[in-house]
Amino acid sequence: MGSWTTGVTLTQEISDEALCRRVAARDEAAFDLLVTRHQGRAYRLAWSLLRNADDARDVSQEAFLRVYRTAAGFRGDARFSTWFYRILVNLCLDHRRRGRWWQRVLVRDDGSGDADVLERQPTTDPGPGDSLGAKQMTARLWAAVDRLSPQQRAAIVLHAQEELPTSQIAEVLKCSEATVRVHLHRAVGALRRIVREE
Amino acid sequence: MHPESELTAYLTNALAPAERARVAEHLQRCAECRRALEESRAVLSGLAAVPAVPEPEWGRYRAELRARLEAPVRRAWWARPMPAMVAAGVAGVAVVLALQGHHERRPVELAAVEETMLGARLPLLEQYRVVERLDLLEDLEAIRHLDRLGDGGR
Repeated sequence: MGSWTTGVTLTQEISDEALCRRVAARDEAAFDLLVTRHQGRAYRLAWSLLRNADDARDVSQEAFLRVYRTAAGFRGDARFSTWFYRILVNLCLDHRRRGRWWQRVLVRDDGSGDADVLERQPTTDPGPGDSLGAKQMTARLWAAVDRLSPQQRAAIVLHAQEELPTSQIAEVLKCSEATVRVHLHRAVGALRRIVREE
Repeated sequence: MHPESELTAYLTNALAPAERARVAEHLQRCAECRRALEESRAVLSGLAAVPAVPEPEWGRYRAELRARLEAPVRRAWWARPMPAMVAAGVAGVAVVLALQGHHERRPVELAAVEETMLGARLPLLEQYRVVERLDLLEDLEAIRHLDRLGDGGR
Protein backbone atom coordinates (compact mmCIF):
# COMPACT_ATOMS: atom_id res chain seq x y z
CA MET A 1 0.00 0.00 0.00
CA GLY A 2 2.98 2.22 -0.33
CA SER A 3 1.43 3.72 -3.43
CA TRP A 4 -1.42 5.18 -1.41
CA THR A 5 -0.25 8.70 -0.88
CA THR A 6 -2.02 11.94 -0.24
CA GLY A 7 0.89 14.28 0.06
CA VAL A 8 0.28 14.57 3.80
CA THR A 9 3.16 13.38 5.92
CA LEU A 10 1.91 11.11 8.66
CA THR A 11 4.06 10.37 11.61
CA GLN A 12 3.92 7.81 14.36
CA GLU A 13 2.82 10.52 16.80
CA ILE A 14 -0.65 10.76 15.30
CA SER A 15 -3.14 8.87 17.41
CA ASP A 16 -5.16 5.96 16.08
CA GLU A 17 -8.32 7.96 16.63
CA ALA A 18 -7.01 10.85 14.52
CA LEU A 19 -5.95 8.42 11.81
CA CYS A 20 -9.40 6.87 11.84
CA ARG A 21 -10.98 10.28 11.29
CA ARG A 22 -8.67 10.75 8.30
CA VAL A 23 -9.64 7.32 6.99
CA ALA A 24 -13.27 8.46 7.17
CA ALA A 25 -12.24 11.30 4.86
CA ARG A 26 -10.71 8.67 2.54
CA ASP A 27 -7.10 9.43 3.39
CA GLU A 28 -5.37 6.35 2.00
CA ALA A 29 -2.04 7.09 3.68
CA ALA A 30 -3.78 7.24 7.07
CA PHE A 31 -5.34 3.85 6.40
CA ASP A 32 -1.94 2.52 5.35
CA LEU A 33 -0.40 3.64 8.63
CA LEU A 34 -3.31 2.29 10.67
CA VAL A 35 -2.96 -1.11 9.02
CA THR A 36 0.80 -1.16 9.53
CA ARG A 37 0.35 -0.33 13.19
CA HIS A 38 -2.26 -2.98 13.90
CA GLN A 39 -1.63 -5.76 11.38
CA GLY A 40 0.54 -7.84 13.72
CA ARG A 41 -1.82 -7.76 16.68
CA ALA A 42 -4.86 -8.23 14.48
CA TYR A 43 -3.42 -11.25 12.74
CA ARG A 44 -2.16 -12.77 15.99
CA LEU A 45 -5.50 -12.30 17.74
CA ALA A 46 -7.38 -13.77 14.77
CA TRP A 47 -4.97 -16.69 14.70
CA SER A 48 -5.48 -17.35 18.40
CA LEU A 49 -9.25 -17.41 17.96
CA LEU A 50 -9.30 -19.35 14.68
CA ARG A 51 -6.13 -21.50 14.86
CA ASN A 52 -5.68 -21.37 11.12
CA ALA A 53 -3.25 -19.16 9.20
CA ASP A 54 -5.42 -18.71 6.09
CA ASP A 55 -8.51 -17.90 8.14
CA ALA A 56 -6.55 -15.50 10.35
CA ARG A 57 -5.24 -13.63 7.30
CA ASP A 58 -8.64 -13.53 5.64
CA VAL A 59 -10.58 -12.41 8.72
CA SER A 60 -8.04 -9.85 9.92
CA GLN A 61 -8.00 -8.30 6.44
CA GLU A 62 -11.79 -8.25 6.49
CA ALA A 63 -11.63 -6.36 9.80
CA PHE A 64 -9.44 -3.69 8.18
CA LEU A 65 -11.86 -3.48 5.26
CA ARG A 66 -14.69 -2.86 7.74
CA VAL A 67 -12.63 -0.13 9.36
CA TYR A 68 -12.13 1.54 5.98
CA ARG A 69 -15.79 1.30 5.03
CA THR A 70 -17.27 2.26 8.38
CA ALA A 71 -14.67 4.71 9.69
CA ALA A 72 -17.22 7.50 9.48
CA GLY A 73 -19.28 5.68 12.12
CA PHE A 74 -16.40 5.55 14.61
CA ARG A 75 -17.30 7.57 17.68
CA GLY A 76 -14.48 9.74 18.94
CA ASP A 77 -15.33 9.02 22.57
CA ALA A 78 -14.23 5.38 22.28
CA ARG A 79 -10.72 4.11 21.82
CA PHE A 80 -9.92 2.99 18.30
CA SER A 81 -8.32 -0.22 19.57
CA THR A 82 -11.50 -1.19 21.46
CA TRP A 83 -13.65 -0.49 18.41
CA PHE A 84 -11.29 -2.42 16.15
CA TYR A 85 -11.01 -5.38 18.54
CA ARG A 86 -14.80 -5.54 18.66
CA ILE A 87 -15.02 -5.71 14.87
CA LEU A 88 -12.28 -8.31 14.69
CA VAL A 89 -13.52 -10.54 17.51
CA ASN A 90 -17.06 -10.51 16.13
CA LEU A 91 -15.79 -11.47 12.69
CA CYS A 92 -13.74 -14.31 14.19
CA LEU A 93 -16.66 -15.65 16.21
CA ASP A 94 -18.97 -15.40 13.19
CA HIS A 95 -16.39 -17.14 11.05
CA ARG A 96 -16.14 -20.02 13.47
CA ARG A 97 -19.89 -20.32 13.76
CA ARG A 98 -20.36 -20.44 10.01
CA GLY A 99 -17.27 -21.84 8.43
CA ARG A 100 -15.96 -25.30 8.05
CA TRP A 101 -18.32 -26.79 10.61
CA TRP A 102 -18.39 -30.03 8.71
CA GLN A 103 -14.59 -30.27 8.96
CA ARG A 104 -14.70 -29.81 12.72
CA VAL A 105 -17.42 -32.46 13.00
CA LEU A 106 -15.40 -34.89 10.90
CA VAL A 107 -12.22 -34.26 12.86
CA ARG A 108 -13.95 -34.77 16.20
CA ASP A 109 -15.94 -37.78 15.05
CA ASP A 110 -12.86 -39.77 14.17
CA GLY A 111 -11.38 -39.15 17.60
CA SER A 112 -8.38 -37.25 16.26
CA GLY A 113 -9.57 -33.82 17.34
CA ASP A 114 -7.17 -33.37 20.21
CA ALA A 115 -4.17 -34.53 18.23
CA ASP A 116 -5.09 -32.23 15.38
CA VAL A 117 -5.41 -29.23 17.63
CA LEU A 118 -2.11 -30.01 19.30
CA GLU A 119 -0.37 -30.31 15.95
CA ARG A 120 -1.67 -26.90 14.99
CA GLN A 121 0.03 -25.28 17.95
CA PRO A 122 3.00 -23.27 16.81
CA THR A 123 6.17 -23.77 18.73
CA THR A 124 6.67 -21.42 21.62
CA ASP A 125 9.87 -19.50 21.84
CA PRO A 126 11.87 -21.35 24.46
CA GLY A 127 13.23 -18.83 26.90
CA PRO A 128 16.10 -19.47 29.29
CA GLY A 129 15.22 -22.34 31.56
CA ASP A 130 12.07 -23.15 29.64
CA SER A 131 11.56 -26.86 30.07
CA LEU A 132 9.92 -29.26 27.70
CA GLY A 133 7.22 -29.80 30.31
CA ALA A 134 6.38 -26.10 30.42
CA LYS A 135 6.22 -25.96 26.63
CA GLN A 136 3.94 -28.97 26.52
CA MET A 137 1.76 -27.45 29.21
CA THR A 138 1.44 -24.22 27.24
CA ALA A 139 0.60 -26.16 24.08
CA ARG A 140 -2.03 -28.22 25.91
CA LEU A 141 -3.54 -25.15 27.51
CA TRP A 142 -3.84 -23.31 24.19
CA ALA A 143 -5.27 -26.44 22.58
CA ALA A 144 -7.87 -26.55 25.34
CA VAL A 145 -8.67 -22.85 24.78
CA ASP A 146 -9.83 -23.92 21.33
CA ARG A 147 -12.56 -26.03 22.92
CA LEU A 148 -13.96 -23.30 25.16
CA SER A 149 -17.21 -21.55 24.30
CA PRO A 150 -16.75 -18.61 21.90
CA GLN A 151 -17.27 -15.95 24.58
CA GLN A 152 -14.97 -17.69 27.07
CA ARG A 153 -12.32 -18.17 24.39
CA ALA A 154 -12.49 -14.53 23.36
CA ALA A 155 -12.30 -13.37 26.98
CA ILE A 156 -9.32 -15.53 27.89
CA VAL A 157 -7.39 -14.66 24.70
CA LEU A 158 -8.00 -10.95 25.19
CA HIS A 159 -6.87 -11.25 28.78
CA ALA A 160 -3.91 -13.63 28.48
CA GLN A 161 -2.57 -12.62 25.08
CA GLU A 162 -3.62 -9.02 24.61
CA GLU A 163 -3.42 -8.23 28.33
CA LEU A 164 -6.61 -6.20 28.24
CA PRO A 165 -8.16 -5.27 31.58
CA THR A 166 -11.60 -6.63 32.39
CA SER A 167 -13.21 -3.27 31.66
CA GLN A 168 -11.85 -3.15 28.11
CA ILE A 169 -12.74 -6.81 27.45
CA ALA A 170 -16.28 -5.90 28.50
CA GLU A 171 -16.31 -3.07 25.96
CA VAL A 172 -15.01 -5.35 23.21
CA LEU A 173 -17.52 -8.11 23.96
CA LYS A 174 -20.29 -5.59 24.63
CA CYS A 175 -21.19 -7.03 28.00
CA SER A 176 -20.78 -6.09 31.65
CA GLU A 177 -17.55 -6.49 33.59
CA ALA A 178 -19.33 -9.01 35.81
CA THR A 179 -20.10 -11.12 32.75
CA VAL A 180 -16.46 -10.98 31.69
CA ARG A 181 -15.45 -12.15 35.14
CA VAL A 182 -17.82 -15.09 34.81
CA HIS A 183 -16.40 -15.95 31.36
CA LEU A 184 -12.85 -15.81 32.69
CA HIS A 185 -13.72 -17.79 35.80
CA ARG A 186 -15.37 -20.56 33.77
CA ALA A 187 -12.56 -20.62 31.22
CA VAL A 188 -9.88 -20.88 33.91
CA GLY A 189 -11.98 -23.51 35.71
CA ALA A 190 -12.09 -25.65 32.57
CA LEU A 191 -8.36 -25.20 31.96
CA ARG A 192 -7.45 -26.04 35.56
CA ARG A 193 -8.29 -29.66 34.88
CA ILE A 194 -5.30 -29.78 32.55
CA VAL A 195 -3.00 -28.40 35.23
CA ARG A 196 -4.37 -30.93 37.72
CA GLU A 197 -3.63 -33.83 35.37
CA GLU A 198 0.06 -32.91 35.14
CA MET B 1 -18.41 -20.08 51.97
CA HIS B 2 -15.60 -20.46 49.42
CA PRO B 3 -15.09 -17.47 47.11
CA GLU B 4 -14.14 -19.78 44.24
CA SER B 5 -15.87 -17.69 41.60
CA GLU B 6 -13.75 -14.70 42.63
CA LEU B 7 -10.34 -16.36 42.52
CA THR B 8 -9.70 -15.58 38.85
CA ALA B 9 -10.78 -11.99 39.36
CA TYR B 10 -8.48 -11.89 42.40
CA LEU B 11 -5.55 -13.00 40.24
CA THR B 12 -6.37 -10.57 37.46
CA ASN B 13 -6.79 -7.64 39.86
CA ALA B 14 -10.39 -7.20 38.81
CA LEU B 15 -11.81 -7.05 42.32
CA ALA B 16 -12.76 -3.94 44.23
CA PRO B 17 -10.50 -3.33 47.26
CA ALA B 18 -13.08 -4.55 49.80
CA GLU B 19 -13.75 -7.73 47.84
CA ARG B 20 -10.06 -8.31 47.40
CA ALA B 21 -9.42 -7.99 51.12
CA ARG B 22 -12.23 -10.43 51.90
CA VAL B 23 -10.84 -13.04 49.44
CA ALA B 24 -7.30 -12.55 50.78
CA GLU B 25 -8.50 -13.13 54.30
CA HIS B 26 -10.33 -16.30 53.27
CA LEU B 27 -7.25 -17.60 51.46
CA GLN B 28 -5.21 -17.33 54.64
CA ARG B 29 -7.39 -19.88 56.39
CA CYS B 30 -8.57 -22.13 53.52
CA ALA B 31 -6.12 -24.66 52.03
CA GLU B 32 -8.64 -25.79 49.42
CA CYS B 33 -9.00 -22.29 47.99
CA ARG B 34 -5.24 -21.77 48.10
CA ARG B 35 -4.82 -24.90 45.99
CA ALA B 36 -7.48 -23.67 43.55
CA LEU B 37 -5.74 -20.30 43.42
CA GLU B 38 -2.40 -21.92 42.57
CA GLU B 39 -4.00 -23.99 39.81
CA SER B 40 -5.60 -20.86 38.37
CA ARG B 41 -2.29 -19.04 38.60
CA ALA B 42 -0.59 -21.91 36.72
CA VAL B 43 -3.23 -21.67 34.00
CA LEU B 44 -2.80 -17.93 33.55
CA SER B 45 1.01 -18.08 33.61
CA GLY B 46 0.91 -20.98 31.13
CA LEU B 47 -1.26 -18.92 28.79
CA ALA B 48 0.99 -15.91 29.24
CA ALA B 49 3.65 -17.84 27.30
CA VAL B 50 1.86 -16.85 24.11
CA PRO B 51 2.64 -19.17 21.22
CA ALA B 52 4.87 -17.67 18.54
CA VAL B 53 2.33 -17.33 15.76
CA PRO B 54 3.81 -17.87 12.28
CA GLU B 55 3.36 -14.46 10.69
CA PRO B 56 2.57 -13.81 7.05
CA GLU B 57 4.79 -11.76 4.75
CA TRP B 58 3.44 -8.31 5.55
CA GLY B 59 4.07 -6.71 2.17
CA ARG B 60 2.00 -9.41 0.51
CA TYR B 61 -0.61 -9.15 3.26
CA ARG B 62 -1.09 -5.43 2.56
CA ALA B 63 -1.11 -6.00 -1.21
CA GLU B 64 -3.92 -8.55 -0.78
CA LEU B 65 -5.77 -6.12 1.47
CA ARG B 66 -5.49 -3.37 -1.11
CA ALA B 67 -6.74 -5.70 -3.85
CA ARG B 68 -9.74 -6.61 -1.71
CA LEU B 69 -10.39 -2.95 -0.98
CA GLU B 70 -10.44 -2.09 -4.65
CA ALA B 71 -12.49 -5.13 -5.69
CA PRO B 72 -16.23 -4.62 -6.14
CA VAL B 73 -18.20 -5.47 -3.04
CA ARG B 74 -19.73 -8.92 -3.24
CA ARG B 75 -23.45 -8.81 -2.64
CA ALA B 76 -25.23 -11.28 -0.40
CA TRP B 77 -27.03 -14.10 -2.20
CA TRP B 78 -30.44 -12.54 -1.59
CA ALA B 79 -29.28 -9.25 -3.10
CA ARG B 80 -27.95 -10.79 -6.28
CA PRO B 81 -29.78 -10.49 -9.60
CA MET B 82 -32.66 -12.82 -10.28
CA PRO B 83 -30.89 -15.13 -12.76
CA ALA B 84 -28.75 -16.54 -9.96
CA MET B 85 -31.83 -17.21 -7.86
CA VAL B 86 -33.63 -18.75 -10.79
CA ALA B 87 -30.65 -21.00 -11.45
CA ALA B 88 -30.54 -21.98 -7.80
CA GLY B 89 -34.27 -22.73 -7.86
CA VAL B 90 -33.98 -24.85 -10.97
CA ALA B 91 -31.03 -26.72 -9.48
CA GLY B 92 -33.02 -27.29 -6.29
CA VAL B 93 -36.01 -28.64 -8.19
CA ALA B 94 -33.68 -30.90 -10.20
CA VAL B 95 -32.14 -32.28 -7.02
CA VAL B 96 -35.56 -32.92 -5.47
CA LEU B 97 -36.80 -34.64 -8.61
CA ALA B 98 -33.63 -36.70 -8.83
CA LEU B 99 -33.97 -37.76 -5.20
CA GLN B 100 -37.63 -38.66 -5.69
CA GLY B 101 -36.72 -40.64 -8.76
CA HIS B 102 -34.05 -42.44 -6.78
CA HIS B 103 -36.42 -43.39 -3.99
CA GLU B 104 -39.43 -44.19 -6.15
CA ARG B 105 -38.15 -46.38 -8.91
CA ARG B 106 -41.20 -47.29 -10.87
CA PRO B 107 -41.54 -50.22 -13.20
CA VAL B 108 -40.14 -49.71 -16.66
CA GLU B 109 -43.56 -50.33 -18.19
CA LEU B 110 -45.17 -47.47 -16.27
CA ALA B 111 -42.37 -45.08 -17.24
CA ALA B 112 -42.87 -46.06 -20.87
CA VAL B 113 -46.59 -45.24 -20.62
CA GLU B 114 -45.79 -41.81 -19.15
CA GLU B 115 -43.32 -41.11 -21.94
CA THR B 116 -45.99 -41.98 -24.48
CA MET B 117 -48.46 -39.58 -22.80
CA LEU B 118 -45.85 -36.83 -22.66
CA GLY B 119 -45.13 -37.37 -26.31
CA ALA B 120 -48.81 -36.90 -27.02
CA ARG B 121 -48.68 -33.50 -25.29
CA LEU B 122 -45.52 -32.39 -27.02
CA PRO B 123 -47.28 -30.15 -29.54
CA LEU B 124 -48.74 -28.19 -26.63
CA LEU B 125 -45.28 -27.74 -25.08
CA GLU B 126 -44.08 -26.40 -28.39
CA GLN B 127 -46.57 -23.54 -28.17
CA TYR B 128 -43.93 -21.15 -27.00
CA ARG B 129 -46.23 -18.19 -26.72
CA VAL B 130 -48.20 -20.01 -24.05
CA VAL B 131 -45.11 -21.18 -22.23
CA GLU B 132 -43.45 -17.77 -22.36
CA ARG B 133 -46.40 -16.15 -20.60
CA LEU B 134 -46.11 -18.47 -17.62
CA ASP B 135 -44.93 -16.96 -14.39
CA LEU B 136 -41.93 -18.83 -13.02
CA LEU B 137 -43.59 -19.57 -9.71
CA GLU B 138 -46.72 -20.90 -11.36
CA ASP B 139 -45.02 -22.98 -13.97
CA LEU B 140 -45.26 -26.40 -12.38
CA GLU B 141 -48.99 -26.13 -11.80
CA ALA B 142 -49.53 -24.58 -15.21
CA ILE B 143 -47.52 -27.20 -17.08
CA ARG B 144 -49.50 -29.87 -15.29
CA HIS B 145 -52.66 -28.42 -16.89
CA LEU B 146 -51.07 -27.22 -20.08
CA ASP B 147 -53.66 -28.91 -22.25
CA ARG B 148 -56.39 -26.71 -20.75
CA LEU B 149 -54.24 -23.59 -21.14
CA GLY B 150 -53.62 -24.53 -24.72
CA ASP B 151 -57.38 -24.79 -25.36
CA GLY B 152 -58.02 -21.48 -23.68
CA GLY B 153 -55.26 -19.79 -25.56
CA ARG B 154 -56.73 -20.59 -28.93
